[in-house]
Amino acid sequence: MRITAKAKEETRERITESARKLFTDKGFDETTTRDIASEAGIATGTLFNYYPSKEALAMSLVAASLDAGRLDFEARRRGDESLEEDLISHIMTGLRRLQPHRGYVGAVMETAMSPFAKTGLCDDADRTREEHLERVTDLTASHGLGGAPPFVVMHLYWTLYLGVLAFWSRDASDKQEETLAVLDHSLRLFVASLKTGHTKVEVNHVT
Amino acid sequence: MSPEIGELVAALPDGFDEEKAPDEALQTLLSSLANKPVPVGRLTRFWALGSLKAKIALAYMAWWLRSGYVSGDKRAATLNETHLKSAIKLLGTMSYLRGSIMKIGQTLANYPDVVPDEFVDTLSALHFEAPPMHFSLLREQVRNELGRDPEEIFDEFETKAFAAASLGQVHRARLKTGQEVAVKIQYPNIARTIRDDFKNFNALLLPMRLTKDWDNFRAQGEDIFETLELETDYVNEAECLKAAREAFNEDDGVVVPEVFEEFSSGRVLTMEFIEGKHVDEFMATNPPQEVRDRHGHQIFMAISRLYYGLKIVYADPHPGNFYFMEDGRLGLIDFGCCYRFTDETWKYCANVERASHGPIDSEAMDAALLYSVDLTDEAQMGEERLGLLRDYCTWMWEPMQEDAPFDFGDPEYLRRGMQLYGDMIRKRYTRSQPINTWLARSFVGARAMAYRLRAKFNLKAILDTETSVK
Repeated sequence: MRITAKAKEETRERITESARKLFTDKGFDETTTRDIASEAGIATGTLFNYYPSKEALAMSLVAASLDAGRLDFEARRRGDESLEEDLISHIMTGLRRLQPHRGYVGAVMETAMSPFAKTGLCDDADRTREEHLERVTDLTASHGLGGAPPFVVMHLYWTLYLGVLAFWSRDASDKQEETLAVLDHSLRLFVASLKTGHTKVEVNHVT
Repeated sequence: MSPEIGELVAALPDGFDEEKAPDEALQTLLSSLANKPVPVGRLTRFWALGSLKAKIALAYMAWWLRSGYVSGDKRAATLNETHLKSAIKLLGTMSYLRGSIMKIGQTLANYPDVVPDEFVDTLSALHFEAPPMHFSLLREQVRNELGRDPEEIFDEFETKAFAAASLGQVHRARLKTGQEVAVKIQYPNIARTIRDDFKNFNALLLPMRLTKDWDNFRAQGEDIFETLELETDYVNEAECLKAAREAFNEDDGVVVPEVFEEFSSGRVLTMEFIEGKHVDEFMATNPPQEVRDRHGHQIFMAISRLYYGLKIVYADPHPGNFYFMEDGRLGLIDFGCCYRFTDETWKYCANVERASHGPIDSEAMDAALLYSVDLTDEAQMGEERLGLLRDYCTWMWEPMQEDAPFDFGDPEYLRRGMQLYGDMIRKRYTRSQPINTWLARSFVGARAMAYRLRAKFNLKAILDTETSVK
């Protein structure tokens, strides 16, 4: 029997919906790939044709939310924001979309997106990271802080970003209010580092 | 004796030749606040406090050393220069540490004759000109609190703040009904910052813990902390605003803004926008004496109405909270820092008043003063302290002794009061019931406003009316 592209897409959607429901109801750690397959009405082996692991499946949910967040960000931009404002809005629109996944986003990030994670293991993770960093690079450039910032600066940004995500995923304050303060600090730090990078450093040459 | 007044007097620069070393005196100026991000971690804040202390102490030490080699006018000029530098440094750090300690800065700015002009100029800027938090952060805070972006809630929302509040900032906006409003938005996580501040100060004060007045001092500190923490709850402030608004009628000439509850929460407060001038701007128009007198009267009438009618101490009468309106009315805003009387504190204040109204009843006064310093034994009080406290009370009640206008613009009157504070602080008479902190803020703050207005009015008549209304 031939499986059409449409049927494949429907199966993929059933899997992600089932995973979303189970992660929310049972928790990420308590949910197995067998549970997800069963909920979706497919064999466990079939699920692996679509996603190599539970983490990759979760990452696709996270990536879809971040994609939606990016659209929200673009829609909210007025065009006269400072770099700090743009960056905070860029991240917060993503976090708001990620809210349903807050309980397990830490595990996903650790596996797929942390600085220790290898690239090439999860397409969604690689794409999400690249797109996010490209947008940050564009934003910094549009605020007159040079073209593509060097890889060191982007690594710093990514580390801060994941730090904020980690803080947010465990933030017990009301409405995650403390995350806003941490985010504000982190981005001011980042922007300050960009500005520092534009100042000339005096070097003593030893002859 | 209020710790804030203690801080104020200790900060006086002319104390160099007295028993306090300059760095010790300036330690009390270790304030913080404002608009750069709040360092969330306690250690970070502690580091910043320590760093400022070192900088200001060094500036004054430098002046002290240099002053040995100069004389006369040059010496005065150098002192001004040092004050200015310190004020700027103080402001710099305040800009970094927004939070509860902004209150100290505001209190200092309220006493134009007591602190150097440069401090007043620089600190005055805190009321209205602190740089704003950026809009994206505010928008997220509003969304957290009200569930929607400001652009969705309001017909129009100014992205730039028009005023800095002690715990956040205020933006102008227009409701979809067309109503002009002021939206006060709190910096995220400020309540935790206040808790951290309090821990830091406790740590700084640890060397004092073996002194005889430690328990009393700690009780005062805890009371300040509790009231400041209450200030982070805008729901509480909204309730005070509503109660106060109902306490005034049209003839009173006092306006308290209406609260729009649908657009308010624990961290966001949407109020009617009040249009008017602050005291400096108002005085710059050279208003006639009778207009200044009327505004002085309104300020004291309003504070007395809240006191006797609602049993609330309006404990934050700094210039930023008063608007002098075009039509002659007084706008009274910001009810975050209000102290509510308990039965016990109300009884104490009533006793002081009974002893002070008309001819002073010395015996009743002494009994009230004993309670006011949290002592039960007259021997512990000592003649000298009792004498100073009597003088202080007499000074405080002096404007009510005659049924006639009192000249609050008389610098000599204010100076005498400050001298009494100074004497009490220098003699370490700091024991006090916590309520006195708020009474002193309210009474002295209102007097400072009347002084700035150079107003004359009959305070006794105001109190007679307000107590009979009660």
